[in-house]
Amino acid sequence: MIVEFWGQEFKVNIVLGCLGGFLIAVASSMFGFGGGPFMVPLMTVGLGLPMYVVVGSSLLAIFFNTLMGTMRHYQFGNFDMLFFLIMFPAAILAGFIAPQIAKRVSPIVVKRVAVAGLLILAASLLGLF
Amino acid sequence: MRRTWFSLVVALAATVFMLYQNGAFAQKPTDTKAKDEVNKAKVEEAKPVEAPSITLEIDKTTLNNGGTINVKGVAPAGKPVYLEVWAEQKVRASRFDADVDKDTGKRPYILYMTDEMPAYYKIFLPKDKKEAFEQNKKEGRKWSVSKALKETGADVAYSVPAKIKIDRYQATFIRSVIGSRGDLLQSMDEKENRRRSMQLIKARFRSIDKVLAPDVEVNSDGTYKATIKIREGLAPGKYYIVAVADKGVKSQPVSFENNISFPVMYLSNAGTSLNILGPFFLVLAIATFGVLMGAGGGFIINPLLVTIYPLPHTIVAGTVMPTVLFSQGSGIYNYSKIKFINWKLGCTIGAAMLLGGFIGPKLTEMITLDQYKFVFGWILIILAALMYWQTTPGYIEKNKKEQAILKEFQKRAKEAAAKKGN
Repeated sequence: MIVEFWGQEFKVNIVLGCLGGFLIAVASSMFGFGGGPFMVPLMTVGLGLPMYVVVGSSLLAIFFNTLMGTMRHYQFGNFDMLFFLIMFPAAILAGFIAPQIAKRVSPIVVKRVAVAGLLILAASLLGLF
Repeated sequence: MRRTWFSLVVALAATVFMLYQNGAFAQKPTDTKAKDEVNKAKVEEAKPVEAPSITLEIDKTTLNNGGTINVKGVAPAGKPVYLEVWAEQKVRASRFDADVDKDTGKRPYILYMTDEMPAYYKIFLPKDKKEAFEQNKKEGRKWSVSKALKETGADVAYSVPAKIKIDRYQATFIRSVIGSRGDLLQSMDEKENRRRSMQLIKARFRSIDKVLAPDVEVNSDGTYKATIKIREGLAPGKYYIVAVADKGVKSQPVSFENNISFPVMYLSNAGTSLNILGPFFLVLAIATFGVLMGAGGGFIINPLLVTIYPLPHTIVAGTVMPTVLFSQGSGIYNYSKIKFINWKLGCTIGAAMLLGGFIGPKLTEMITLDQYKFVFGWILIILAALMYWQTTPGYIEKNKKEQAILKEFQKRAKEAAAKKGN
């Protein structure tokens, strides 16, 4: 498939994109996270698109997944309204706080901390300690 | 900026409204005095009725988010006394049966589901059954409710969950792919319903400590007493206690009330009450960090929530997901304003993801919490590897160039949008 973006044309292996997107969507809606961190590498490395094409379009693709996942979870009765109302304002508030902090910390340090944190969390989930 | 503040106000207003609708504010500690009297009357009334059986008395009829209740009474001498305690509040429980059937050698693939599981259920055993209890406890996660009940003799007391309505669905691979629960099968007979309800008890309460406890002190003259501990974070509302000595030898049910007050609230779908400030600040902290590291907070919030709080993973997955919907929506809106979205690419991959999102939630209810944690552990390791890769020098170098181009494009796009506006 040919993708046009601001006058530039990119050739995209859409089969790989759809297959990868499908698998990411299954996992993300099954476990309840957004698929962004997996989707962006898929589109940059897997499909060979530059970052400026990916940022917006990957968000759009994920939005479809989140929307459908939300509807299905609701349909299966896996949605707790009160719990949602606790978390939703916190998530919105975080969206305002984060950019204030972002100016003061290096993204690389944040990512290194994240790596350590994720590994600890993973080890505890896998029952290693 | 004005628009964001406006939308925040709208969101907060809607939140308050929905809270109100949800009856959360109505959940204030009720005036318990009148109820106490009713309860007392009930206990006294119950006594003379049962000639051959058991009496049961409790020392208080209200609790405030858990506490202890002293129970005493008289049973026929020489009989073990079991106390069956359950909450009136009901929750959902489900179990996917994919274990090989011993008789046919096939996997049944049947989903058992009920909406009538008591939010709290426990049988208190006589103290002399402690050994049998410990023996079953040693089996760890593999313990079986029916075996434990049989070996401790508690199956005579097991009656409330046995009568719940359980639906079963025959799942098939094709149906799972299209995201259906499958055909609703015929309802089960009494015996089968009882057996399956025990499996659902385990799926819901998980550990043997939550279902059984050898706490009843029975004396040789038939008097008995027990201290019942109702832990924090359980469902509010009415609880019932019945003392059972033998089949058919039962006391009248005695009830007590568990009250909770703000900021502790009851999540009716999850069947748990918790201090809502905990999840609020947890989500606030993690989501802030999530935005900074460039990944949604869901990766960290979900496993933390299922680890810290006694919440079912289905509820966690199903409730965290919608919270990101709005931030994604506003992100798309902002990008589309500066024409930074390729609709053809986004919608094509989006169609594939739509399909995936249709199937995923179905799979959530087919796995157990342990499987959920296990797979999530591996997903986090992959994510950690991706994050690490993004901190390697080669990536940073490349990323710098990309970011520069990205900024340049955004600048141009904004200018173009501004020109159009004029």
